[in-house]
Amino acid sequence: MPTRSPSVAAPFPRRWLRALLLPMLAVLLLAGGLAAPLAAHAADTPADTLRYSWPSNVGELNPHKYSPNQMFAQGMVYEPLVKYARGGAIEPWLAESWTVSPDGKVYTFTLRKGVTFSDGTPFDSKAVRMNLETVLANRASHDWLELVAQIDKVETPDARTVRLVLKNAYYPTLQELALIRPVRFLSPSAFPASGNTAEGIKAPIGTGPWKLVETRKGEYDVLERNDAYWGKKPAIKRIVVRVIPDPNTRLVALQAGELDLVFGGGGHGGGQISLEAFDALKKGGKYATYLSPPQASRVIALNSKSGPTADIAVRKAILHAINKDAMVKGIFLNAEARADTLFPPTSPYCDLKLPPYAHDVAKAEALLDEAGWKRTAPKGPRMKDGKPLTVDLCFVGNDALQKAIAEFLQSELARVGMQANLIGEEEDAIGERQKNGTFGMVFGDTWGAPYDPHSFVSGMRVPTHADYQAQIGLPMKADIDARIGKVLLSTDETTRQNLYRDILTTLHDQAVYLPLTYQTSMVVHTARVDGVHFGAMDTEIPFEDMRLK
Amino acid sequence: MPAYILKRLAALIPLLLLVSVVVFLLLRAAQGDPAMAYLRLSRIPPTDEALATARRMLELDLPLWQQYVRWLARAVTGDFGNSYVTGRPVLGEVLHYLPATLQLAGAALLLTLAVSVPLGVGAALHRDRPLDNAARALSFTSVSLPNFWLGFLLVWLFAVKLGWLPALGRGGLEHMVLPAVTLSLMSMGINTRLIRTSLLENMHARHIMYARARGISERGVVWRHMFKNSLIPVLTSLGMHVGELLGGAVIVETVFAWPGVGRYAVSAVYNRDYPILQCFMLLMTAIFVLCNLAVDILYAWADPRIRLGEDRA
Repeated sequence: MPTRSPSVAAPFPRRWLRALLLPMLAVLLLAGGLAAPLAAHAADTPADTLRYSWPSNVGELNPHKYSPNQMFAQGMVYEPLVKYARGGAIEPWLAESWTVSPDGKVYTFTLRKGVTFSDGTPFDSKAVRMNLETVLANRASHDWLELVAQIDKVETPDARTVRLVLKNAYYPTLQELALIRPVRFLSPSAFPASGNTAEGIKAPIGTGPWKLVETRKGEYDVLERNDAYWGKKPAIKRIVVRVIPDPNTRLVALQAGELDLVFGGGGHGGGQISLEAFDALKKGGKYATYLSPPQASRVIALNSKSGPTADIAVRKAILHAINKDAMVKGIFLNAEARADTLFPPTSPYCDLKLPPYAHDVAKAEALLDEAGWKRTAPKGPRMKDGKPLTVDLCFVGNDALQKAIAEFLQSELARVGMQANLIGEEEDAIGERQKNGTFGMVFGDTWGAPYDPHSFVSGMRVPTHADYQAQIGLPMKADIDARIGKVLLSTDETTRQNLYRDILTTLHDQAVYLPLTYQTSMVVHTARVDGVHFGAMDTEIPFEDMRLK
Repeated sequence: MPAYILKRLAALIPLLLLVSVVVFLLLRAAQGDPAMAYLRLSRIPPTDEALATARRMLELDLPLWQQYVRWLARAVTGDFGNSYVTGRPVLGEVLHYLPATLQLAGAALLLTLAVSVPLGVGAALHRDRPLDNAARALSFTSVSLPNFWLGFLLVWLFAVKLGWLPALGRGGLEHMVLPAVTLSLMSMGINTRLIRTSLLENMHARHIMYARARGISERGVVWRHMFKNSLIPVLTSLGMHVGELLGGAVIVETVFAWPGVGRYAVSAVYNRDYPILQCFMLLMTAIFVLCNLAVDILYAWADPRIRLGEDRA
């Protein structure tokens, strides 16, 4: 190792210092200084443009296809025959009226007058028929949707009348026609030559209040107001949707003044912004922040067939043992509301005023004592016939939210002397457990509007569903399934409400579900934006009612 | 030389093949079900029927080896399959996003050199003086800071607090500043130290002494004799830096919503979009290997004693 270094460096210190530092300084100036005069970038947005963001581009906007088409944007460009309003009411939209035959099999729609697609093509029964036929031609890709399976044929007696003939009476027909996809309408001029939109479309042309005018892959999409719109015209001229996959990046973009609006599902992971960020913005007071009404439920299904939960007293004890308010505060940061019933009371037919299972540790203990599960020591675990009181709580291992909830439930149950074994496995394995009923408690979500309650209860009859497996131990399971079959075919509103009341009351009384919270969407916006409210379905964003100040 | 290059290029083929097998198997060994991810993105309730339909559509119902053989047969013709999410050909998508990544990595490389060369030389010439200490502090901090964290910190300061620079996206030069600085900082730190060490080693070599004795100017001694001779390890690390910058771009692009291939790959990971990831990994492997080849060729230029492709007995 040489040791003479100082003498080498000594003769030229200052000159070198200058020569070295100058280029470095130049680079740093370039990096930092260059920016200052360019700082106008945030302000160069035109006054009539709203800036929103989404994790991906909106897609080519084919109304009959799924990913990568983004539903919120499909909903801006394409419209349904009937609209799903809050609380489940069905309102006229592209159809101004309709009748249902007494047997519930024939739906006759009268189309609205004077509606045109954004390219000027008239919206008539021929256009409706073309769209329905291409959907039916691709039944397999829509087989999750019962309506598509039920449509037998489409008749168009005149330019303003469309008749849907079903194979069976199916009451949720109107609800499913209101969905954002696949039954919405593309201009006949934009169909491919084959008429099959599964092969692609020429251009995204609908009847809706917005038009897709530009897409830069990976950067942004631009939607502009459809000035020929038949309904109430949007106040905003243009919406720029920037592609921002990362929720933290979205947060800083908002804070740096590059976004006006954050709107959508929140939560840990895939949401628009994290619960923590929402909480911080709310407390900061600089932005308008609010939560949507309940949209779907997070629930845990309890196994009524095997293990200690086969005993209704144990299931009820579990429901009473959980302090949901503490969970809502600690895990959800108050961004979701406590759930007391399987479906939010705002879902159609679900406002039944069922008495909640209140948090009551003494009651839970009493129930367990009565059922023969005795403490071996004060505060110790409970036993019966030499067996400890344990239940398998299954969750998706890499789902941070489920894990946090599972750990919370474990500590709550330990308090009443019940041991919860946490089983965190990968999604497929949990799916397998749901199918064959090898769980004590397992997570599940309801589907939200407009699927709740009909699609969800329909699934309860399917043996490969967690709900079926959870309920199979109930003495009245056959009766529940029969009622579900009846409610889906019912054509009379009162009968339907009564059937739902029976089904949901039985499930509630039998304590097969531990409702956790009602999921919500979050909105954060700057002072520029006004008129923001939530759609009836969590997949739609009512841009048309927003204004810019 | 040309024969050597051809030989190295030919060696790429078995390497890519090996990588393709490993990536193919690793992806499928990882948790998660692409069919489930597809349904989630499509917001289709994940019923058994829907899952089965999605699996059939994505060809996930075939045995593993058949999936691989089908994929390989198409890949050799340049068809890397269609994205599970967008349904569009993967290669076109990846190539669409690649230029933005190359631009960012290139800017970061330039920035790395522009800072580390003068700083490294300066630190060596002023060993244990304030400049050297400052360079050491910079190197130490920059290699210790995770770049996603640093990225957010810089955005917070320059975009949110000061409002000097845009927080995200691709556009003019000003959009490039924060991501390029974030991306290059680590390479800067490493390179500075490397140049310093290498120069210090060379500083007392005999030829330097002779050069001085011949009365060559100090500038000539430092740049022609010291610096050029110190380049070999620096060149080696340069090859690594390119890989590091491209790899680092994956995270930095996500933080800055930079529309590059790295961010595209991150989304693909979330969505279990196997075809994209397979294509991405192969492309990155190829770029990495080609960069190393370029470095080897530069060796010969920097040190005429190195003769590429000559077998030594």
